[in-house]
Amino acid sequence: MRGVQVPHNAYVTVCGTDLVRDESGAFVVLEDNLRVPSGVSYMLANRDVVRRAFPNMFRNAGVRPIEHYPQELLSTLKSLAPLQSEVSIVVLTPGVFNSAYFEHAFLARQMGGELVEGRDIVINDNYVYARTTSGLKRVDVIYRRIDDDFIDPVAFRPDSTLGVPGLFNAYRAGNVVIANAPGTGIADDKAVYAYVPRLIRYYLSEEPILENVETFLCREPMSCAHVLANLDKLVVKAVGESGGYGMLVGPHATREERETFAERLKADPENYIAQPTIQLSTAPCFIDGQIEPRHVDLRPFVLHGEETVVVPGALTRVALKRGSLVVNSSQGGGSKDTWVLSS
Amino acid sequence: MLSRVAENLYWMSRYLERAEHTARLLTVKLESMLDQSPEDGEASWRRAVDALFGAEFAPTSPDVASLTQTLGFDLDNPSSLISSLRGARDNARQVREQISTEMWSHLNQMYLQLAPVNLKTSWSDQPAHIFRETLDNLHMFEGIAFSTMRHGEGWHFIQLGRYIERAQLISFLLDLHFGADARARPPAKYPDWLGLLRSCTAFEAYCKVYTANIQPNRVAEFLLFDAEFPHSIRFAVERMDEALTRVAPGAPPHRRAECNRLAGRLRANVDFGQIDELMAGTIDGFLAGVTRQCEQINDAVYAAYIEYDAETVV
Repeated sequence: MRGVQVPHNAYVTVCGTDLVRDESGAFVVLEDNLRVPSGVSYMLANRDVVRRAFPNMFRNAGVRPIEHYPQELLSTLKSLAPLQSEVSIVVLTPGVFNSAYFEHAFLARQMGGELVEGRDIVINDNYVYARTTSGLKRVDVIYRRIDDDFIDPVAFRPDSTLGVPGLFNAYRAGNVVIANAPGTGIADDKAVYAYVPRLIRYYLSEEPILENVETFLCREPMSCAHVLANLDKLVVKAVGESGGYGMLVGPHATREERETFAERLKADPENYIAQPTIQLSTAPCFIDGQIEPRHVDLRPFVLHGEETVVVPGALTRVALKRGSLVVNSSQGGGSKDTWVLSS
Repeated sequence: MLSRVAENLYWMSRYLERAEHTARLLTVKLESMLDQSPEDGEASWRRAVDALFGAEFAPTSPDVASLTQTLGFDLDNPSSLISSLRGARDNARQVREQISTEMWSHLNQMYLQLAPVNLKTSWSDQPAHIFRETLDNLHMFEGIAFSTMRHGEGWHFIQLGRYIERAQLISFLLDLHFGADARARPPAKYPDWLGLLRSCTAFEAYCKVYTANIQPNRVAEFLLFDAEFPHSIRFAVERMDEALTRVAPGAPPHRRAECNRLAGRLRANVDFGQIDELMAGTIDGFLAGVTRQCEQINDAVYAAYIEYDAETVV
């Protein structure tokens, strides 16, 4: 990416940062998702369902609308190709076997863009085309929902069959926009996360508006010793994992689980970070006929192109098991419609 | 339209047509079995098996129960009813956002209903029943597709797939009744011709045109050349030709030329064919020609719209 000019300096076109509320009620950043943040279709689907189920409540509450998200996404993506009079946008999906395929198809349909797989794309002379029945059709902007490593087997992982050979060269030649920019996944790394407040102060000379959760980098020997001594109080996460995989929630783990994890940590400390177990705030949930508290977190979606736009809504994820702090939908988490009121 | 999407719609449709053909043939055979002597019944099953497997793949033991299992419910047999439905569903699943929700849920339901069925669960009951029901479902799917999907390019690829498949299936079925092999066997009887007509849902339509007086020549003429009956070869070829003029609206004339030429040629053959000449002995070649030309059209569609060489188009 060195020497590559990104339009409007917008590396991260769609950002889905996870926020939680700590014991004092303040919002803090739990995790960054800058590579291919997902879940926005749940936000829209939840709203659709709740509005149909409780029309009366809606009328009086003054809930601000979020249905324009696909249009906002479309204009943000268009703004990345300012020189084209008619911008052709595609959504690049790994295919039907991906767990977020529904969302890819949903967004493509709502934006009126083509939903493509790697094999639908042809690169010729560093220009990007979609193979259609009527011939090759130029592609200007790719909203990619494939991980960085897989987008181009020539430039990155040679075993990727999902990507498009030669895409990265076309990108570097400036003939196509890829959103989010390749490489943004590095910011999802949980060790990088720990440095974000310092990055903000250094590069922007600003104070971060939202604090991070206190984070111990196990690569630092002092922190590592502290983590090992306090495994029963901390949440330990592998830096490159997501979706609730490769993590230990100390207070909820058994002694054996903690001991096994300690061995893995000692063998490869650089691969781990630890955070105090935050008692995520709770929201009332209707579980088996009763109202019960469940832990939640919040993922607002920020669009960044020529301008920065946040639709007044978010995905609220819910840990459906009593007492659980794991909200990831891949681990059985649920979600809630989230309201921002106009007054 | 993306080439991959066109390909999936085309194959979804071909598989559905195949499923419909299989379901109908099995229904007709199982229902008519009760009216035939064991020897006649066996010969007629033999033909059904050949029609569904192709003669060289047909199993040797013509035991009706196990044949029904193989042709209906065996997922390992690529030409079984359930395999065809699975093929249709797999293709539809790739392009769920291109077909209507109603189409997808109906097709999905149809497959999931039939998938757990096997001979043991259905035989004691009434074996023809489950095939009749599937046939109804397949007809319903066609109606749902007609009224819920946009009749745009994707729709025309669906029509193309359906009618190419249909022309080939009917041509094969006619060959089994009128070709050289059939002529070498003892002459077919009334129930055989009735069975052939019913295998193409053609009995009532035939009677409207020729009365219930069933003559082999007229049966052949009707299934080959009737311009208004949906399961005649001529009808299928004409719809195929029309679909080809509507797909890939943005493709330049030179890329459309080969498909249009082949379809026009086949259409001329069936529009101007004459039954007495065919019955004098050229019917084998004629039917083989229909099948071969359908294959050529399939290949030309792939070359022009689906698997073309990118270099030639830039």
